[in-house]
Order: sequence, then C-alpha cells, then structure tokens
Amino acid sequence: MRSLAKNKMLRLSCQQASRLLSQRQDGPLPFGKRARLRLHLAYCDACTNVSRQFETLRLAMQQWRDRE
Amino acid sequence: MSSTTGTGGATLVIEFEVLAEQRPYLLKVARMELRDEHQAEDCVSDVLTQAYEHRAKFRGDASLRTWLISILKNRIIDLLRKQWREQPIEESPSGEQEFDDLFDDTGHYALMPSAVRDPAELCQENGFLSAVQLCVDKLPKRIGQVFVLREVLGTETKELCKELDMTTSNVWVQLYRARMMLRTCLEKRGFGNA
Repeated sequence: MRSLAKNKMLRLSCQQASRLLSQRQDGPLPFGKRARLRLHLAYCDACTNVSRQFETLRLAMQQWRDRE
Repeated sequence: MSSTTGTGGATLVIEFEVLAEQRPYLLKVARMELRDEHQAEDCVSDVLTQAYEHRAKFRGDASLRTWLISILKNRIIDLLRKQWREQPIEESPSGEQEFDDLFDDTGHYALMPSAVRDPAELCQENGFLSAVQLCVDKLPKRIGQVFVLREVLGTETKELCKELDMTTSNVWVQLYRARMMLRTCLEKRGFGNA
C-alpha cells in the first residue's frame, strides 16, 4: 500500500475524490476507483468530512419526505 | 387505515378518504420536484385517482406511502419526459475544473469542509431539514429535479437513464453538481455547526 500511496499517478486530488464520493452514492464504484478513493480517505480529513456530508444529505432528504 | 372483507380477510379495501389523507404528503414531494403549484396539484390528483382505481393492487406488504410514492414517481417521470423533450438542455460536459473555486491550486479544499459528527442527530435538529429544503429549492431547476427524483423518490441511476433519455455520465454530473451546490449552501449555514 505504501508504494501505491507514493505513486502520483494513482493519487487522487480532493477535486477528483469529490466526484467519486458522489458517484458512490449512486452505485458501486469499479475496483480501481474504489481502492484509490479508500486510500485517499485514509489520509484526507477534508474528503472524509465531505463523505459524511453526502451521507447526511441522503438521510436528510428521506427524513424531510417522511416527517409530518 | 384499511378494513378487510370476506372470510379470508385477504382483501384490503382502501377507502378513498384514506388515500386522500396522504394528499398533503404527496403534494409536498410533488411541489419540490415540479416547482409548479398547479402542476403539482394536478399530478397528485392524478396519483390519488390512479391509486383508487388500482386499489386492489395494493397488497399491504409495503406501506401505503411507499406504494403511493411509487405511483407518484412514475407519474412525475412521465411528466418530465414530455417537458424535457420539449425543452432539451444541452448536456454540459463535466470539466475537470468544475467547482474550481472550491479548491486551491493543489486540488485541495480551499476551506476545510465542516465535520458532521452524527448525521441522524443533525437531521433531528431544529431547522436543519428546513435549511436543506431551502437549499434544494435554490438549485438550478433541472439539477434539482434530477436530485429529488434520486433522493426523495428513490429513483435508481439506471432508471433515470432509461426513462429520461439521459446518459449515465450525465446523471452522475447532475447529481454531483446538486450535491456540491447543496454542501456549499449548507456550509454557509455552518452545516449545523453554527
């Protein structure tokens, strides 16, 4: 994993990660993208927060719909 | 909410009044999706009429609301398919540089995104869901409509593509834009941390 993290070709920017975070809300990511995103999230607090924000949006929309 | 008839007790009879009680619920969703009061009212009336006509199909294994939402979803997809054919928008390709101003030169967030400790707790907080609604209502119309179809009506990406003549990448782009705009809108309110 260490060599993978060092490889710039494989490293995602937060901007790229944001697209994948959205995409994974709508279906499973292909293996390569999933692995790169997981790696990115392992060291990036900002994207971890965005991931949580996207989850919150999903929950919020369901709760908005069903609240009285 | 329903009574059973016959000796087997298997037949559910839904009275129209029981369906009509769900009108405000359906109307709220239709308004957010269609952004047009008259269209929303007509749409919900159609849904209730259709549900009543097909009430024998309601098995009671799903909740009444879930069943009505599925009818509403189909009705809305029919409406939007027509509208979008009449007023097509050019598919704007998703540039790598989209939302560029949120990121610095190295591709990192210029402002640290707020942490959400507990999404469920946040959704319980006074005013948060209303703030979300406000932000959704402010999305560009088409982007908001795709987002609401996905998140409120539970439409899968595949279904969006098939029913609304969208490519998979276009669906992803629209949903990405919606989510990024919504998070920006909510960040202005501290994302619940204010």
